[in-house]
Amino acid sequence: MKLLRFPPALAPPDVRRLGLADVAILCLLGGAIAAVVAFAREFEAPFSQAVAIDLRFSALPRYTLYSLARGVLALLISYLFALSFGWTAAKSRAAERLLLPLLDILQSIPVLGFLPGLVLGLMSLFPTRNVGLELAAILMIFTAQAWNLALSFYNSLKSLPEPLREACQVAGWRASRTFWQLEVPAAAQGLVWNGMLSMAGGWFFLMVNEAFRLGDHDYRLPGIGSYMSVALDRGDSTAAFLAILAMVVMIVCVDQLLWRPLVVWVEKFRLDDTAGGGPAPSSWVLDFLRRAWLPRRAALLQRRAYRRARRAARQLERPFRAVGPVIWQAPRFAFDHPLARKLGFGLLFAAIGAAALLGARSLWLLLTQLGARDWGALASSAALTFARVMAAVVVSTVWALPAGVWIGRSPRLARALQPVIQVVASFPAPMLFPLVILLFERIGVGLGLGAVALMVLAGQWYILFNVISAVAAIPEQLKDAADAFRLPRLARWRALYLPAAFPALVTGWVTAAGGAWNGSIVAEYIEAGGTLRTTKGLGSLISEATAHANFPLLAGGIALMSLIVVGWNRLVWRSLMQWAQARFGLAA
Amino acid sequence: MTAGTLLLEARHVTQRFRLPNGQLLEALRDVSLSVCQNEVVALVGPSGCGKSTLLRLFAGLARPADGAVLYRGQPLEGVLGAAAMVFQSFALLPWLTVAENVAMGLEARGVDGPARRDAVARAVNLVGLDGFEQAYPKELSGGMKQRVGFARALAVAPEIMLMDEPFGALDPLTAENLRSQVVDLWRDPATGVNTLVVVTHSVEEAVFLAGRIVVFGSNPGHVREELENPLPYPRQERSPEFEDMVDRLHAILTATLLPEPAPAAPQRLVPFPRVHVSEVTGLLDHLLTRPGGKGPVFELAEDLGVDYDRMSAVVRGAEQLGWVTTPGEVVQLTQAGRDVMAMDDAAHKDATRARLAKQPLFARLVAMLKESEGAVEDEEVLADLTIYFPFIPADSLFGTIVEWGRYAELLAHDADAGRLSLLGLPDGTSEARSEA
Repeated sequence: MKLLRFPPALAPPDVRRLGLADVAILCLLGGAIAAVVAFAREFEAPFSQAVAIDLRFSALPRYTLYSLARGVLALLISYLFALSFGWTAAKSRAAERLLLPLLDILQSIPVLGFLPGLVLGLMSLFPTRNVGLELAAILMIFTAQAWNLALSFYNSLKSLPEPLREACQVAGWRASRTFWQLEVPAAAQGLVWNGMLSMAGGWFFLMVNEAFRLGDHDYRLPGIGSYMSVALDRGDSTAAFLAILAMVVMIVCVDQLLWRPLVVWVEKFRLDDTAGGGPAPSSWVLDFLRRAWLPRRAALLQRRAYRRARRAARQLERPFRAVGPVIWQAPRFAFDHPLARKLGFGLLFAAIGAAALLGARSLWLLLTQLGARDWGALASSAALTFARVMAAVVVSTVWALPAGVWIGRSPRLARALQPVIQVVASFPAPMLFPLVILLFERIGVGLGLGAVALMVLAGQWYILFNVISAVAAIPEQLKDAADAFRLPRLARWRALYLPAAFPALVTGWVTAAGGAWNGSIVAEYIEAGGTLRTTKGLGSLISEATAHANFPLLAGGIALMSLIVVGWNRLVWRSLMQWAQARFGLAA
Repeated sequence: MTAGTLLLEARHVTQRFRLPNGQLLEALRDVSLSVCQNEVVALVGPSGCGKSTLLRLFAGLARPADGAVLYRGQPLEGVLGAAAMVFQSFALLPWLTVAENVAMGLEARGVDGPARRDAVARAVNLVGLDGFEQAYPKELSGGMKQRVGFARALAVAPEIMLMDEPFGALDPLTAENLRSQVVDLWRDPATGVNTLVVVTHSVEEAVFLAGRIVVFGSNPGHVREELENPLPYPRQERSPEFEDMVDRLHAILTATLLPEPAPAAPQRLVPFPRVHVSEVTGLLDHLLTRPGGKGPVFELAEDLGVDYDRMSAVVRGAEQLGWVTTPGEVVQLTQAGRDVMAMDDAAHKDATRARLAKQPLFARLVAMLKESEGAVEDEEVLADLTIYFPFIPADSLFGTIVEWGRYAELLAHDADAGRLSLLGLPDGTSEARSEA
């Protein structure tokens, strides 16, 4: 019976020696350290408005790393923001009432409009170093990443089963422990998936963030976006092509090395026991890492070192034991005492309120400088861009709805295409705009219409994604029923696929329209091949106001666009969404 | 074991909740209850009677809106450290192993290092989970998961163990097995756990476990009766004394669930129980198969495999339509009930329509519809329901009204427009015709 006690599969974990995986890990570590050092040096570099961009191929990897570092830093800030914002909104009813509408507005307004103000403000903070410009770029990426993360964390907190929370309370867990061991793990899946979307969203304005003109000043940071814009300025198509290639390589690498392993890993934190349909996702990188000996060894060493340190520290701790509780009392009191908590929230609200008032005042001062003619121009431009956005949504739907249904119908096809589509969708559409416009000019289409095509590029993926996932989620039995009653193809679409996809389609429309509005800022105002092309519209008006440092007009344009987007969301999309859910939701 | 000092006490406790639709629901009204050392107290009653709410008040997870909860004579501040809790849904953290889940409560109680490992090992051993320490909850069956739940509670050696329908989510075989183990654990002095408060749905479970059984009534939740259960442990479920006790409890619960209608105020607005058409038909069908067309409500519940409070709701529905009567705890099919079961579908609907139109709530609704030319907004009806029946979630009662109204072809409902309208006006002749 000894065999039973020592199953042959059980080999002690330390038998394996350094392997290929470990070498890879060491190389990666070294690379990461080098990259961080290089990026820090760039941060500390003396201020230069527009660095000279080296268009040689050999410089491209460095630029790619710079851009990547900005994206990753912004994502880290976004996560910090999402955790604190989501927690506050979920814990306090008053905060919830204030913060959720704020989030709703923030995620639907064109963030690009804040760039000039941000740059000027941060540069006056750090006049001699590059830090100001870098921070502005990072914060701009942050504004494209943070909102959906915060919303995801908030929703996870709100949908946490009450007994789990009670179990932690009965166990006597402090709020901080419940946060790290219950609330964050339970939200992990949503945080990772949304992080993936955020990262893609953050690249959208890469070119503008790294190279833009404000009045007479030309601001440029070293990065893949500025490389691209310089290449376009000089009409160097080889360099432009190389920049696109580098972007694709970066997106694929980030997807394979960062997101895939994370997605597989967070499967562990799934709350419901039942596995979702289909086979579990897999990641070759995570498998590779799990096979590696080094991390395990490192964990063991770390645990040992920790234990030794604890033992040593215990001697030193003794005198502090008496004092410790007193020191700890204050923050714990602040955290746990209802009065203190209320005071904290009160101060927070006061700060937010004051900031809002200040912002409203300065906006009002800017807007009063606009004359009747300016407002007329704003209104007519807004109407034009509105028409373009709606046209872009319609065109996107015309191709993405059938394609989405077609892909979503076959689980195998959806699985095979999902990573490809994801990479394609992560690619920042504005990088392609100049090339597309040059192509259009050759076939004789002006920017007035061409901008619609560019806005389609910016928004279509949201529709495709949503339709695919909705169709893929149709219960198997409904499809079986359609087969059993031999529904003709047309009836099958009308009775099954289209109604089932409709709620998701509306969600897709909301985000696609948002993407198109954002895209209009770069789609209606394009520099390609050394010449500038513009067409009348709210987007080009905003871009022009930025270029000429016309702040009243810029403020007016941004305010008007925000108003239209938020108003349309509230009045049209939301009621359409509610109706679609009630009428076609599969859950009911 | 003899009852000792007073541990937990609820004094005139009232608790209210706000429903998502804004309705204020009173879950408990003026409840007083005490729990002494070495006692096993069972809280039973229909769903929605606030027994789980009271358990959470004892645990310190919530504060009462009115009244006080005391532990050893002192008002409760925050979560009660002397108590541990077992949940119906297990409430295990899926990303922690069995051992880590069991250790959840130890750190806050200052149990660290080897002592913690020992406490976990002891608790795991007590519930028979040895060898599963490194497993994750998703690898375990329901019964095993609840063992982890018990181990987590036992690990902190609590003075009081609070259990919220601990066997409710388990299959009957597993539940039975775990139930007797709980009694063994309680009687075993080694565990140090000697006071249990258990919320349960099952009468047998209460009689099997508890030394004192507290019966709750609903709308709003209140204590209806307390019952001493002197049977010696270990209890034999097939013994006549045990069955006597179960019958006594059944009788009390029946009086709670099926109150004799007050003869005064005949036109008092009574809510229609939230049951489905098919459930009432199923009950009548089943009664037809029984000799004399009758049976005690608990037997019927067992036969049909439903909860007793669900069963009694169905019986009340059938009673309001005049198809059964309930002398005591016996449900008796009436002649009208026999007749309606003999009808074809169309006549069945006609008869239901005639009966529904006489039910006070539906009668009132019909009158309201006639006044407003046959159609009203959902909102209006919902608002009225909220006023008339503040203890019943209006949405769900509205759903029942729509279902019965549609079935009887009395009402039509347009969900898109949010309007309720009158279909066939009750003429009162259809039933007379079919009875003739």
